[in-house]
Amino acid sequence: MIEANGLSKRYGELVAVDDVSFSVQPGEVVGFLGPNGAGKTTTMRMLTGFLPPTDGSATIAGHDIFEDPLAARRAVGYLPETPPLYPEMSVEGYLTYVAKIKDVPRAQRRAAVDRALERCGLAEVRRRVIGALSKGFRQRVGLAQAIVHDPSVLILDEPTVGLDPIQIREIRALIAGLASEKKGDKARTVILSTHILPEVEAICRRVLILNRGRKVIDQPLAELKAGGASLEEIFARATAREFEEPSAAPPPAAKPGAPAPEVRS
Amino acid sequence: MKHVGAIAGRELRSLFASPVAYAVLVLFAVLAGFFFLSGVLQFQDYVVRMQAFQMAQQLEELNLNDHVIAPFVHVMSVVMLFLIPGITMGLFASEKANGTQELLLTSPITIWELVLGKFLAAAAFVALLVSLLAIYPALLFWYGDPELAKTLAGLGGLLLIGVTYAAIGSFASAVTQSQLIAFFLAFVLLLVLWMLGFLADLGAAGGAVSNESVTGVLRWLSTAEHFESLVMGLADTKDLAYFAALVAVSLIVTRAAVESVRWR
Repeated sequence: MIEANGLSKRYGELVAVDDVSFSVQPGEVVGFLGPNGAGKTTTMRMLTGFLPPTDGSATIAGHDIFEDPLAARRAVGYLPETPPLYPEMSVEGYLTYVAKIKDVPRAQRRAAVDRALERCGLAEVRRRVIGALSKGFRQRVGLAQAIVHDPSVLILDEPTVGLDPIQIREIRALIAGLASEKKGDKARTVILSTHILPEVEAICRRVLILNRGRKVIDQPLAELKAGGASLEEIFARATAREFEEPSAAPPPAAKPGAPAPEVRS
Repeated sequence: MKHVGAIAGRELRSLFASPVAYAVLVLFAVLAGFFFLSGVLQFQDYVVRMQAFQMAQQLEELNLNDHVIAPFVHVMSVVMLFLIPGITMGLFASEKANGTQELLLTSPITIWELVLGKFLAAAAFVALLVSLLAIYPALLFWYGDPELAKTLAGLGGLLLIGVTYAAIGSFASAVTQSQLIAFFLAFVLLLVLWMLGFLADLGAAGGAVSNESVTGVLRWLSTAEHFESLVMGLADTKDLAYFAALVAVSLIVTRAAVESVRWR
């Protein structure tokens, strides 16, 4: 469903993404992990057609992002890190507009918007102005715009960032639901980037870890955890590799509940 | 080009959802009323004075087109110089600030559709401004007998220069994510284009530019110069081509500016 071949993005001297290749099968749910600045967002932006890669290429649902960019973009639903919302528009008006620019045929537009509203639990706020909605609802509107054209690929960039624990649980359940939905005869493909490791364990089957622009791990979650290490340890080891001796023992993983001791002057 | 309508429609609706559109409309209407009224009063004053001094010949030459409508259209074109940037400043800048640019550039639409949609929305607003303005000269037809063709030429000139300003304003909005910067950049660009003729004359007078052809080119590039002939009803294809070319060039560089996020 997604084929990335040697994707690279350079900004002058800075290499944001360096020769990243992977392939995602229909129906797979892949978690994109990596520290800040690892190139997750840049990789996603290249797949969605927002940024062209400096090197390499990718195909989405069989459409090359260079040769047939419009068809490739039509196949993708994308939720950027900041949901792309117009605060002055109503939820329904906004989704109708997105349906128009995503090429949903006129005759199906109403039904598509209704389905997205229903699916994301927005039915009771459909006439509200987006700017007046809570953050959790805005995130749902962001998800609704990503699915309104019923794409076969969903790309979600940190969909739960900045939400409270209850909203996180809701959005997570929503994403899991969207991932299991059928698109035609195939299940929907989802790529999700996040910093929250339990989120990956809850939703994803496969993990792809980026560090400093390079792909360092690309394995099914079950296989990764077969060694007995927690995802957190694996993540810490994979992303610390650059600074460690290759033979060094894995660094002790920080416990999530125990904050690092602060040094005050 | 099937998405142009959707983009223009959303833009117009957003414009009217914000106070900016109403502020511009009100300011425009108030200024238009003020300048129109002062124009008419001055005209009346002329007539009375010339009658008192029995200047039959001058009285003959006095007419509503040249002494009320033309100066009015003229002053309103100057008002547009700073009101139209207010309309165009948000076109692209707000999409960048909102993050909605990412939605647009990952949608199956072309950048031309985006640029044309936005430009047409701004042009439609300019058309609304000009039609609002048309009420004032229309009043003169009630009380007097100005020439219709000349009046329409003046209003048409105003529409044309307003639409050109909208295209230049689009460009200013496409190069920044701050609406304030977009406003001032558009204003400065429009002002410089407007004043090129004066600048050329000033340079020639001061001896800085002695070359005849340089001042000629500068004057030819000036919007004021071409607008003048439109208002006087002397428009020829050269003036129309000038505005068409200015719009086309502005939209081409706007497109390039929008696309440049991809190549940074």
